[in-house]
Formats: sequence, structure tokens, C-alpha cells
Amino acid sequence: MTAMWRRVDLSILLFALVALVLAVLVVLPLGWLAWYSVTDSAGNLTTANFVKLVADPAMRKPLIITGQIAIGAALFACVVAVPLAWLVSRTDLPMRGAIRALVTASFVTPPFLGAVAWELLAAPNSGILNQWGRALFGLDDYDYVFDIYTKEGVIFCIACYTFPYVFTVLANALDNMPADLDDASHILGGGAWVTLRRITLPLVLPSILAGMLVAFLQALTIFGTPAILALPSGFHTLTTKIWSLFQVPPQPNLAAAAALPMLLVTLAVLQLQRWLLGRRSYVVVGGKNSPPRRIKLGWMALPALGLCFMIMLGPIILPYGALIKSAITNNLSDGLSWSTLSSRHLHFILWEFSGTRDAMVNTLILGATSATAVTFIALVVGYLAHRQLVPGHRFLPALAMAPIAVPGIVMGVGLFLVYTRPPFLLYGTLGILFVAFITLEMPAGFQQVQAAMRGLHVELEEASRIFGATRMQALMQITAPLLRTTIIATWSIVFIGVIRELSATILLTTSNTKVISVVIYDLNESGELGAIAVLGLFLLVVTFAIVLLVNRLPILGGRTVR
Amino acid sequence: MGEKPVASVALRGIRKTYGQLTVADGIDLSIQHGELVCLLGPSGCGKTTTLRLIAGFIVPDAGTIMVGDQLVSGPGHALPPEKRNMSMIFQSYALWPHMTVAENVAYGLKLRKLPKADIARKVAAMLAVAKLEKLADRYPGELSGGQQQRVALARALAVEPETLLLDEPLSNLDTNLREEMRFEIRRLHDEFRYTTVYVTHDQLEAMTTADRIVVMNAGRIEQIGSPEDIFLRPQSEFVARFIGGTNILRGRSFGRMIQSGPLSIMWELGEAASGSDGALSIRPHEIELSAHAEGGPNTYSGTVLRHTYIGAQRDYLVDLGGDNHLRVVTALEQHFAPGDVIGVHLPPHRCRALAR
Repeated sequence: MTAMWRRVDLSILLFALVALVLAVLVVLPLGWLAWYSVTDSAGNLTTANFVKLVADPAMRKPLIITGQIAIGAALFACVVAVPLAWLVSRTDLPMRGAIRALVTASFVTPPFLGAVAWELLAAPNSGILNQWGRALFGLDDYDYVFDIYTKEGVIFCIACYTFPYVFTVLANALDNMPADLDDASHILGGGAWVTLRRITLPLVLPSILAGMLVAFLQALTIFGTPAILALPSGFHTLTTKIWSLFQVPPQPNLAAAAALPMLLVTLAVLQLQRWLLGRRSYVVVGGKNSPPRRIKLGWMALPALGLCFMIMLGPIILPYGALIKSAITNNLSDGLSWSTLSSRHLHFILWEFSGTRDAMVNTLILGATSATAVTFIALVVGYLAHRQLVPGHRFLPALAMAPIAVPGIVMGVGLFLVYTRPPFLLYGTLGILFVAFITLEMPAGFQQVQAAMRGLHVELEEASRIFGATRMQALMQITAPLLRTTIIATWSIVFIGVIRELSATILLTTSNTKVISVVIYDLNESGELGAIAVLGLFLLVVTFAIVLLVNRLPILGGRTVR
Repeated sequence: MGEKPVASVALRGIRKTYGQLTVADGIDLSIQHGELVCLLGPSGCGKTTTLRLIAGFIVPDAGTIMVGDQLVSGPGHALPPEKRNMSMIFQSYALWPHMTVAENVAYGLKLRKLPKADIARKVAAMLAVAKLEKLADRYPGELSGGQQQRVALARALAVEPETLLLDEPLSNLDTNLREEMRFEIRRLHDEFRYTTVYVTHDQLEAMTTADRIVVMNAGRIEQIGSPEDIFLRPQSEFVARFIGGTNILRGRSFGRMIQSGPLSIMWELGEAASGSDGALSIRPHEIELSAHAEGGPNTYSGTVLRHTYIGAQRDYLVDLGGDNHLRVVTALEQHFAPGDVIGVHLPPHRCRALAR
């Protein structure tokens, strides 16, 4: 009888705490951002910041360029991703697994690293491709074939690492599209190509557009690529402009005003995307889904495969080659042979350059703590919401997902404004980066947990209760073991997200709190490309090790979980 | 002897609403010790909610649930499920996929902190009863549907509960297996005699397993009774239709007669208030057809609308005029073609007036 009355109010308490933490994480920086954007440095209300944003050519030009780059990159990403996705998920293309793996590799390659690699490849003078071009076409010493330090160069480089967003959404839709839909067209007399044009493509068009919108947002809010490729030739995008407003003398009010439109565009685009994907429901029809029958490519298989590998030259093959080459040779212009091999850069990074070890330690600490925190909070939120344990549980997922609408650089500005003042003086500590990372990575983490919770039948836990387990015992003995793979996957995804983050980090880091991504950016400014290559490869090795681990998780779990 | 058996589970005025939706609307039900009671009804009738209220997964908005002389649920508070010494078989079986068959069965015993040797002995015994000895080290994912069902059964019985709850335990099995398991559940109940509440939407399942059937509809209890009671003496139109299927003729009651359109129909079963609107039920196989309408009480002339051959019987749809269409099931020898005008006799001792 005693136990009867202790209806666990602990869950309510936990709910309140989590809700508060999530709200603080999002509301505080955005609130300060909004406030700063409408005040001057003395704290008086003004619209001057926004007027300047539109009227001042130094602000207006980046705005326009950003728009061009975002649209250009989104279109480019789409043009590349659509044929690739269709070939991989709908045809009998050989080496489909390898192509998918290469796309995954593009997905996890930090874009700023790709930008540095493309500097190595296509800088007008020293670029490897330009050296080859001169030799091939017999050009003069100062002629060049490619110039990566241009708007087109930036677009290309961004598209290289945003096309996987389009690819993933599209390939997913194609994979899930029942073959019956295609078969119905065939039986009515439609050939393979008619079916592709009249049935398949129209059906996945919303997915293509949705993926393209994600690519657009990525291109809009990216900092690393334009910072590396646009700044040297003297033009700005919105993100680099915001960053420059934090250099001496800092103009946080103007920066806040410049960040706000990015937030609004993101919100609008995400809404549009949700609407597009929401209407997609007619694609995933009920009934028995027979696996798609693959279109036979015949003699076109090899040319198609060639096309795929040609596409992968851009994000993976050439950049990785360039990174590896410059990591192990003395000078960029050296050919690759036994005599030119050098451990100079490795030596420099490991022993001479003081920043490396601190940055590695900081990165690992931040990666591990943020990943743990996000996983924990995501699990609590997912559990409370899915089991509908507390009143108001519906709002928790919305709170956890809210940061998805906040671009990294916007979050960076907001956090800078919040944590450089009392009562939260976190600026200059790892704490501010920790806060930034858990906020930015919360949506990705929560999505993982939510998907797993949906697949976990409520009765599994109830069964344990009825046989005599308390709620805590049921959690530990049933739910936790069943969520183990999800926990590992969530943790790893957040960890990867953290070690590749640059947009928010660049605003929040100080000389004591450098992380690897920032060190790479600094080394780029001082022209130490060989050193970057070594650090970058280190980053990639860690990333791929984690990706491989996650991909093998079902084996780690050991048993088929229905 | 002569002592009234103690009600093992008693629900009094149980009410549960979700927003606008009332899923349990004043449920009163006493289940005797050792009795097997079936909650039977269409989906959405509140039977599963009632079961989960008994289990303690849901807290009632009003009313109380007693187990023996202990109050386990009241408005706004409830003894947690793990303190109720109950056991349950879930519709999804809810076998834990990360535990072997033996581990699944042993789970409840371990939580009861039994000595290791006792656990091993009881698990072995239970696996033997459920014919699962050879599968002890398998994982649920490696079992067939029927095997999983038996593991769920073994797991539920291993803890020797005071009360056993079953939530549509056979709905995921194919027809043959379902029939086999129906008898198996009844056999195990006769052997162990736990107080059992069994939720199903399948009337055959309820008929073959239950001591008493509780027919539910829209959050209320329609009728409680033995399988024979429910089938032979339905008290409401809903029960008559849901159990076995029937023809309903509507009209005005005058004494032991109902005036339905042009037809005056005598009835001898059930009861109806004279002068009120009433309904009369007669089952398809109770109606007698003949080639020519002869005079006499409850004999009418009808037209065959449809004839369907269904194996051992024939199924007719007959128009009696006045919007009265009757389904009639006859022996094979009685063969009429659509359009035939025939005689239809509704034996008064088969006609039942329904109060509701």
C-alpha cells in the first residue's frame, strides 16, 4: 500500500530540468541575437544595423554573393547527385557498394579540409592540376587552367561536400519506392526510359527538391570553404563577413543583424522542405513492397561507372590524393618518388608546432563530453516523449529539434553574445564550445534516438514491469540493452559532428581553446599546407574509424533485434 | 462449503477518458478466484484498456479495482504493475530479443530473488510443459510464431501469478495454430487454475476458452454470462449481432408480438415492454423455408434475392417486403433460385425480443 501513493514525480522533475536546459540552450543565444540586432553599441534601440546591412555596399555585396553561391552550389549538387543516386539504387551498375561508400566519405569529409585540398590542386600557380595542365598543353609559367579562388571555385568546392545531402534523400526515396509502381508502367507498355521519365522521376521529385534545399542551406551557412577560398582573392560571403565583424574593432550589433536573415531563411526553407516531404506520402504506398527490379544497363554499365568515378574525382579521389601527397613530400611542387618522401610535416605537427597537442586533446575532450551529453539528453527526451510519461511531453522533441534551424555561425554569434557577459562568463573556456556543440548536435542525436524508440515496442518494457521489475529495473534490464546500438551510433555521430565543426567554433575559440578544425584554419592562413595535410588525414582516419565501427554495429549487437 | 467464493478481481465503476474519448465508461465486473473470463468485443470497445487498467499500466479516472481485499487502483493513483503479482501475455508477445528463451522464462523468477537452483528447476519444468526444452538456448528472433507464443505463455506462467492477463494472445497466429492454442490455453488453465482475464475479438476463441464471457461495446459492458448464455440468450441487439450473427426485425411491441411493417411476428423468448419500439432477433439457421407459403402463425411469403452455396449449407437472402431482408441458412436439399416466391416460417420459440 505504501508504494501506491508514490506516483513517481521524479519524471516530472527530470522533465522540467531537461526542458529548462533545452530552452536555455536555444532561447538564450537567439534572444540575445535578436536584442543585439536592434540595438547600438550603447544599448539603445535602433534599426541602423539593418539599414546598414542593405545600404552599405560592404555588407550588401556579400549578401548577393552568398545568394549566388548558395543557389549555384545547390543546383550543382543536384545535377551531380540525381544521376548518381538513380544509378546506384535503380540500376545494375557494378560496384554500387563502392560508390555508396565514396559518397559516405564525401559526407563525413570536413568541407574546410576539402577546400584546402582543392587549394593544393587548383591554386592558379602552385596547384597540381595547373602544373599538369601547363605540361600537357605547353602553357607559359603564369598561365593556368583552373583558379579555385573564384566564386565558381567556391561553388564547386561547396557542392563537392553538399551533394551527399541530395543523394541520401533521393537514394532513400528510390530505395523505398515499391517496384510495383514501375511494373505497373511496364505492363501498360512503358519502356524503361519512359517509366523513368514519366513515373520514377515525378514520384521522387519532391525528394530531389527537399535534398536540394538542404544543400542550399549548407551552402548558405558554410564558413570554412569561403573563408579559405574567397578571402584570399578579396571577396566575402555572409558568413566570412560576420566573422570579420568580430575582428578588431568588433561590431557585434551589426554581426547579429547580419546573422538574423540567415536564421529566417533557414526557418523558411525548412518549412518548405517539410511541406515538400509531407506531400511525398503518396510515394510510400501501402501493400506488399517487392524490392525494386534493377534496370539492366547493358553496354552502358561501364560508361556509367566511369561517370560515377569521374564525379567522385571532385570530392574524394583528387583531394585525398593531394592531401596524401603533400603530407609525405617536402614541397608541393616536388614529384612523388622515393627521393622526395619526407616526414618533415609529420615531425612539424607532432613535435615542433606547439598548438597540435593541445588542439588534439581539446578536440577529443570536447568530442567525448559533447557526445555523451547529447546522447544522454536525447535518450531522456526520447524516452519521456515516446512513453508519454509527463504532461507536455509533446514539446520536448520540438525543443530538442529546434537547433536544426539555427546555422552554426548564427549559433556562434548568439553564444558569443550570451557568454561573454555575466552571469555566464564562459568565453575563453572549453565550456562555451561544449555548449555550442551540444546545442548544434542535439537534433542529429535526437533523430537517432527517436527512430530507435519508435522501433521499440512499448510492451517489451511493460512485460518486464508485470513480471515484477520496477521502472528503473525495466529500463536497465530491457530498454537499455535494446538501445545499445542506438546509443553507440548516436554518440559516434555527435562525435564526428563535433570534430568537423568550424562555423561556430571559429567565433568562440580563443588561443587557449583551439581545436583541430581551428588549427587547420590557422595553418592555412600561414600557408602550412603540408602540416594541414597531416592533421587533416589524422582527422579523416579518426572519422572513418568511427564510421566503420558504426556500420558494423549490428554485429556488435550480435543478435538480430526484431 | 456454502461459503461464497471470494472475488479475486473486482472492478467498480471504472471510468477512463482520453480527452474527448471515453474508453471505459463505468465498468463493473467481479471475477471469481480461479475463473477464466473473456473480455470480448470489436476493436475500440475498451477491452484492452480494461485489461491494462487491471494490470496497472493505466490509472482510472474514477472507480476502484480490488484484488482480493487489497485496493490496487483508484482515481489518480495505482499500485505499480510490478507489485500486483500478476502476469501477462502481450499481443506482440513482447519477448525480449536480447535474451534466450530460458532467460526470458527465468526473468520474473530472478526478480523474485528465488535461489538459483529453484529458478533452474522451475524454468526446466515450465519449458517442459510448453514443449520448449529443445529451444531453451535460442533467441526469440530464431523462433516461429507458434513457438514464440508458447515462450510467452511459459514466461507468464513461470512466476505462478495470482492473476494472469492475456491480451489477444492468438491474433498473430495462423488459423490452424490458433485452434490448437485455444485448447492448449484452456488445458493449462484447468491445470493451474489461475484467475485469468482474456481479451479477444474472436468469438470462437472466447466460446472455447472462457468460463464466462463479458461482451463489451463502446466502453461499456453489454452482457456477462456463460458462453451458452451469451449465444442462446443475448440481451441486446449488439450481442445478438456480434455473437453468431442474426437477423433483426424492428417494429412496435404489443404483448408477445411485434408489428414490423406488414408482418406481425409472435415471439416467445426474451422480453419487451408493450407499446414501445422493439427489436426481434432470429438467427439465420433457425428460419424455416418451404416451397409454398402455408397458413399459420409467423409464416409469410418471401422472394429469394440471392442464393450462395457455402459447402455443407446454402445461404439465402430473402425479401419479406417492408424493407425486411432476412439471411437464412438451410440444409443443402432446400434449393431455390433467385426470384422464387417461397414460404418463410419464423418459429415463435426461436424468436427473441430484445430490450436494447
